[in-house]
Amino acid sequence: MSNIPLNIDWQQILLHWMNLAILVGGLYFLLFKPVKQFMEKRQAHYQEMEEKAAGKLQEAEGVKAQYQQKLDGVEAELHEARAKVQQAVEKSTQEQLEQAKKQAAQIVAQARSEAEHSKEKVMKEAQRELKKLATEAAEKIAFKSDVDPFDQFLNLAEGGKENESR
Amino acid sequence: MGKHKKGLAVCIIAVLLLLAASLLTGFHGRAESVQEAMRDAVLHNVNQITFIGGKLINPGLVSAFLVTAILLIAAACIRVFAIPRFRLIPGKFQMVLEEAVGLFDNMAKTNSPHRNGFLGAYIFGAGAYIFVGTLFELLGFEAITAHGEPVTLPAPLSDVNAAIALGVLSYLVILSGGIAGNGVGGIGKTLKEFSLPISMSFRLFGALLSGLLVTELVYYFVTLSFLLPVVVGVLFTLLHAIIQTYVLTMLTALYYGEVSEPSHKEKKGKQKAKASA
Repeated sequence: MSNIPLNIDWQQILLHWMNLAILVGGLYFLLFKPVKQFMEKRQAHYQEMEEKAAGKLQEAEGVKAQYQQKLDGVEAELHEARAKVQQAVEKSTQEQLEQAKKQAAQIVAQARSEAEHSKEKVMKEAQRELKKLATEAAEKIAFKSDVDPFDQFLNLAEGGKENESR
Repeated sequence: MGKHKKGLAVCIIAVLLLLAASLLTGFHGRAESVQEAMRDAVLHNVNQITFIGGKLINPGLVSAFLVTAILLIAAACIRVFAIPRFRLIPGKFQMVLEEAVGLFDNMAKTNSPHRNGFLGAYIFGAGAYIFVGTLFELLGFEAITAHGEPVTLPAPLSDVNAAIALGVLSYLVILSGGIAGNGVGGIGKTLKEFSLPISMSFRLFGALLSGLLVTELVYYFVTLSFLLPVVVGVLFTLLHAIIQTYVLTMLTALYYGEVSEPSHKEKKGKQKAKASA
């Protein structure tokens, strides 16, 4: 062994190997593995938290989209209902207007017919009155004087002329 | 301001007292000359320590066992007291641990996209060993040699046997990655890099030995530590601990990734099989 330069001793090298094996194994089980496991656990914990947060965010986005859709639907419904109501109001107004026009036309027609009727009635009454007056006058002339009715008529007619000439 | 001035004065007095004490006690010298100490730091053929069964071993091996013991006790304490109290929002200590584990795990994952589970564990262990082992020389623990002389325990990797052990082990790990990824082809791929165990071993040995020689010099001439600021030595040791840790772990991860990557022929074969299916 003394021939090997630098005093290299295989037995001591083997002892160093044994020492290194104990050290590496011991450090692995006592320090490296537990610390690494803890770091991985923490990483998994934060990853899980992140995933949960991302899931909740996605869920919230979905709910938001759903509500937005509903809101959009409500607006469209509102618009439709408003249009319907407006249409109904317009229709009803039109109907009322037409009805009012019809009623007005009826009233006018009725008033006209009533006016015609009363005119006719007045005319008939006037004619009847005139006839009656004429008859009474004729009767008076014919039955209450001694003068010949024809003469009386003539006198009257002349009297009328005299009065006219005056 | 008053407190700062008092503290500074205390420091200066302590330094002067220590300097005076070291000069008064004088340099009685060690049994060996500085040349012998340097030579022994490289070759480890004089200052050896008796191991179990009377076997003589280099001080570096004792350092290696001590570093392993320190690391495993610290890891066990952390496992029992700190890890069960880990929280989702980490504190400072937890962050340091997670950063260390994450650093090696990510290095394994980025350099070797395939089969990196074992690689991460290995480079974490090797990295901790190199880093703590290099800083270990700063503690200046003493051991008694077989001749009854005190010797300062060096960094484990300044012993050529430790450097060879780690370099060759790293190469074997790379080889295992090649076999796991490519079977027999992986062995060929790994054997192409036959210079890797030598380069990795001697890179570590050279880097750590230089640190050891400087430390040996400082410990040899105690009074020298007043002329060369110790803090500079500490900073350099810290720096090269980081650099050596990074270099070995990065190289291991890189070569492991290269040899464990499925070859293009296999990929093409699989694609053809898929296309025909």
